[in-house]
Amino acid sequence: MPTAIDDDRLTDTFGALANSTRRAILARLAEGAATVNELAEPFSLSLPAVSKHIKVLERAGLVIRGQSAQYRPCALDPAPLREVMTWTEQYRRVWETRFDQMDAYLTQLRNKEKDAREG
Amino acid sequence: MTDSKPMDAVVIERSFDAPVDLIWKLWTDPEHFKAWYGPDGASIPVAKLDVRVGGTRLVCMEVQTPNGPMQMWFTGEYLEVVENQRLVYTEAMSDEHGNVSTDESAPPGHPQTTEVRVELEDLGGRTRMVMTHVGIPPDSPGAAGWTMAFAKLASYLDAHR
Repeated sequence: MPTAIDDDRLTDTFGALANSTRRAILARLAEGAATVNELAEPFSLSLPAVSKHIKVLERAGLVIRGQSAQYRPCALDPAPLREVMTWTEQYRRVWETRFDQMDAYLTQLRNKEKDAREG
Repeated sequence: MTDSKPMDAVVIERSFDAPVDLIWKLWTDPEHFKAWYGPDGASIPVAKLDVRVGGTRLVCMEVQTPNGPMQMWFTGEYLEVVENQRLVYTEAMSDEHGNVSTDESAPPGHPQTTEVRVELEDLGGRTRMVMTHVGIPPDSPGAAGWTMAFAKLASYLDAHR
């Protein structure tokens, strides 16, 4: 059973991955470390926009920034990806959402019944 | 339960504040089923559920994409039907006629057909449910749109194991 902390981390990871630019940045970093300038090149995005995406990836623990002077190259940290790339984790989330919806639907049915009784 | 937990499966246990026969209906009555089954942002325009052993199911899931609605069809067969207790069915991607898609790109070890098991327990007005989903292929809709970037990342992970 995943702990609450694991769950939070998975949420961060999925949030960071739920964006095609950020996935493309990660795919680029899978080929090797790169500076923000290098990462911005293939996209028609401003440097600040790319920096913003990188910050999201950093917060999710997917990207680590080097300390070396002004360039601070970005590198991929694959650890969180290992967790989310298994199909079980992907499907676990699909089912969890479904059962949340099942719960909400049950509440809806109960309220309808109550209204019918009282109305 | 945990000792019989299969490898490579999603197992989710939930309790619902509803009687067991209502939870059963949510899984087996098409109108109820459509109301909750769609994953985030998806709707279920079609659900044909012939709930008896050997009966066929055909479910359409529709997601809105920037290029318009995208439909995915799933078919399967009911393997076990014990009212208010146990429902087991297979699931595979198909076309709208229920012809199972053949996809040679699926990696070995990931069967195209998967199995969903739903076990219900009457807790006197409340219901405990255990859902087990076994052997889901990695290129199924849950992964749609992620595949491209992931292919690269997967090879990276393999190289850095």
